[in-house]
Amino acid sequence: MFDWGWVSNNITDEILPALIGHIYLSFVSVAIALLISLPIGILVSRYRKVYPPVTFITGLLFSIPSLALFALLVSVPGLGLGSTTVIIALVSYSLLVLIRNVVAGIDSVPEETRDAARGMGLTNRQILFRVELPLALPVIVAGIRIATVTIIGIATIGAYISGGGLGELIFTGISRNFPTRVIVGAVLATLLAVLADLTLLAVERYLRPWARTRRA
Amino acid sequence: MIEFRGVSKTYPGSSRPVVNDLSFEVFDGEICVLVGPSGCGKTTSMRMVNRLIEPSAGEILIDGEPNTAMSGTKLRRHIGYAIQQIGLFPHRTIADNIATVPQLLEWDKGRISARVEELLNLVGLDPDQYRDRYPAELSGGQQQRVGVARALAADPPVMLMDEPFGAVDPINRHRLQDEFLRIQGEIKKTIIFVTHDIDEAIKMGDRIAILQEGGILAQYDTPENILASPNSEFVSSFVGADRVLKRLSLLRVSDVELGPPNGDGLPRLSERMNLKDALSELIGAGVERGSVVSDKDAVRGTLSIETIQRLSHGAEQARGE
Amino acid sequence: MNSLLEVFQRPDFLSQLVVHVELSVVALLIGVAIALPAAIAVSRSPLASTIVINIANTGRAVPSLAILALVFPLLGFGFAPSLVALVLLAIPPILINASTGLMQVSPQVIDAARGMGLSDGQILGRIKLPIAAPVIFAGIRTSAVQVVASATLATFIGGGGLGELIVLGFQRNDLAIQIGGSLTVAMLAIITEVSFGALERTFTPKGLRIARKHRGK
Repeated sequence: MFDWGWVSNNITDEILPALIGHIYLSFVSVAIALLISLPIGILVSRYRKVYPPVTFITGLLFSIPSLALFALLVSVPGLGLGSTTVIIALVSYSLLVLIRNVVAGIDSVPEETRDAARGMGLTNRQILFRVELPLALPVIVAGIRIATVTIIGIATIGAYISGGGLGELIFTGISRNFPTRVIVGAVLATLLAVLADLTLLAVERYLRPWARTRRA
Repeated sequence: MIEFRGVSKTYPGSSRPVVNDLSFEVFDGEICVLVGPSGCGKTTSMRMVNRLIEPSAGEILIDGEPNTAMSGTKLRRHIGYAIQQIGLFPHRTIADNIATVPQLLEWDKGRISARVEELLNLVGLDPDQYRDRYPAELSGGQQQRVGVARALAADPPVMLMDEPFGAVDPINRHRLQDEFLRIQGEIKKTIIFVTHDIDEAIKMGDRIAILQEGGILAQYDTPENILASPNSEFVSSFVGADRVLKRLSLLRVSDVELGPPNGDGLPRLSERMNLKDALSELIGAGVERGSVVSDKDAVRGTLSIETIQRLSHGAEQARGE
Repeated sequence: MNSLLEVFQRPDFLSQLVVHVELSVVALLIGVAIALPAAIAVSRSPLASTIVINIANTGRAVPSLAILALVFPLLGFGFAPSLVALVLLAIPPILINASTGLMQVSPQVIDAARGMGLSDGQILGRIKLPIAAPVIFAGIRTSAVQVVASATLATFIGGGGLGELIVLGFQRNDLAIQIGGSLTVAMLAIITEVSFGALERTFTPKGLRIARKHRGK
């Protein structure tokens, strides 16, 4: 059932490019999503009133099944098939988790700490960059982890609208009834997701000093 | 009566027993306090009574019957159980919490609700106000009261209480202790009461079992006798250097033979005061004697520092023989 | 707009909607039937629960298309292989939440229950499960939404469902079918999310809701 010969023949032509394309898609999407979520999250933590509508909209986006969102975006004039559309979808799936964790991270900073910083004469901007964001970092990284794993998974489906990546191997494998392609694509996507999960989990733990002392 | 007969407990994989050859009796209608430093096995000893823990050796008899005569669950339904963290069921109303054991015993509904009402009154919570509330809506002290009511629900002759007032602030704790002593005056249960606090032990106990590390019974006696004559270095240091004062706190002014009513201008002492407080009052006022009065302000006699001194000294000597 | 209405009147619209719901409901039920007893079985050992939670967490990281795709070489095309894949997807969220929820029941509450003479079965049925219910239902909700979404992908391994319409739209380059199918799937997912949220609130005992509110203060 599994054709090792195909794997060794196509590793540089097809498998590696698909893997790299997948990593690229996922990385770019998380990076863009983070650039959008950070300012929104900071804003929301200051103006609480906008939190419910923000979570409502991003939650709505999050619950739309990916194939449906891809199909809807493709039909938008000017978008069509291709990796840009895929990236837009992937970004929109990450917003909920990322914004929620940015807010939760800033919320987790004790009021006394903020007060002490203010008492030492830090400006609001300095408090944000030197106190709040560093302390919120583990929670934000936790959000990045969940978003990354989700995106790596959904990116496979993006291949259906010509986004490239490991999904390409899966879809062509199914349509040509060639299991080896399917298995290679699925296994690599799984490994990538699990690896990203464990790596970011390690980063998250490293950023939590209290977890480190417990282990010591 | 609860009887410990050579009870030991050693956990698997450990060579040192946590309870070591424990033998003593808890008499009907009395509060027996198990007290000692942490690691002395007091909670373990208590939990072997209702078989939440099974002993490694020895046996425990309740009214002459070994507690292994029935299944653990059935046994526990007939023994009241109250613990420090209270463990109220957060998803059940106060009434349902109290009704737990009666429901297990399949009492009929009317009997259960009458009992709940009776118990809420007994612990000083208005049934109409609290019956349908949930634990989260009650203060810590109120939750402790419900915990005690729940333990009393099926009117068990025996009760086990593990630091039941441990989770509240000192002022509330004193109030709960006083209330519980009043309740016990009415219900006369046979109670094993665990605490690490010697003051609570002295206040609550008809008898105190002081345990030391390794689960060894250091001394078992009434609070008066333990304070008057601790039988070892360990016990005397555990009860504290102020044991003479602690003993005075067990006696009331009305227990003492008073001098004849005498003179004016003496500070007034209520006959319900304990001797420790009376002594403090006299020292504070800088006088040798005070005038003892009843609740209705009738003069009963005079109490002097000398009398108090003689009393505590005499007891020490009598014990020292 | 007219052509969109025509999509909803197509005979295969209704039949694929039924297949989609069928796939999702059956997969979810089987998922619950496997994950809940498993969580209960390991719940008495914190170590076993932690191991199960960690395995299930890794399981959640596996892309849904990967699971469907891996089922295909093993079991082939069709409804049954799709169902198997969806069950595999349904299990981890329920397992994680049920294990976590049961583990979080305060040991004092369990000790008090045991000390009052509740049997193990009574402690599970009357104390642990009701207290863990909100967390368990949150897991079932996550699982349900994920199953409804992933059922869209069943079309790629011949499982049918509304994904069929979306794919048909792509193949024929028929925007109406593509959008009609997508909107229906999106609505289905949102309805699932909202109705399971309501179910979760219904199954949260009142005392716990009050407790949550008091903690929030």
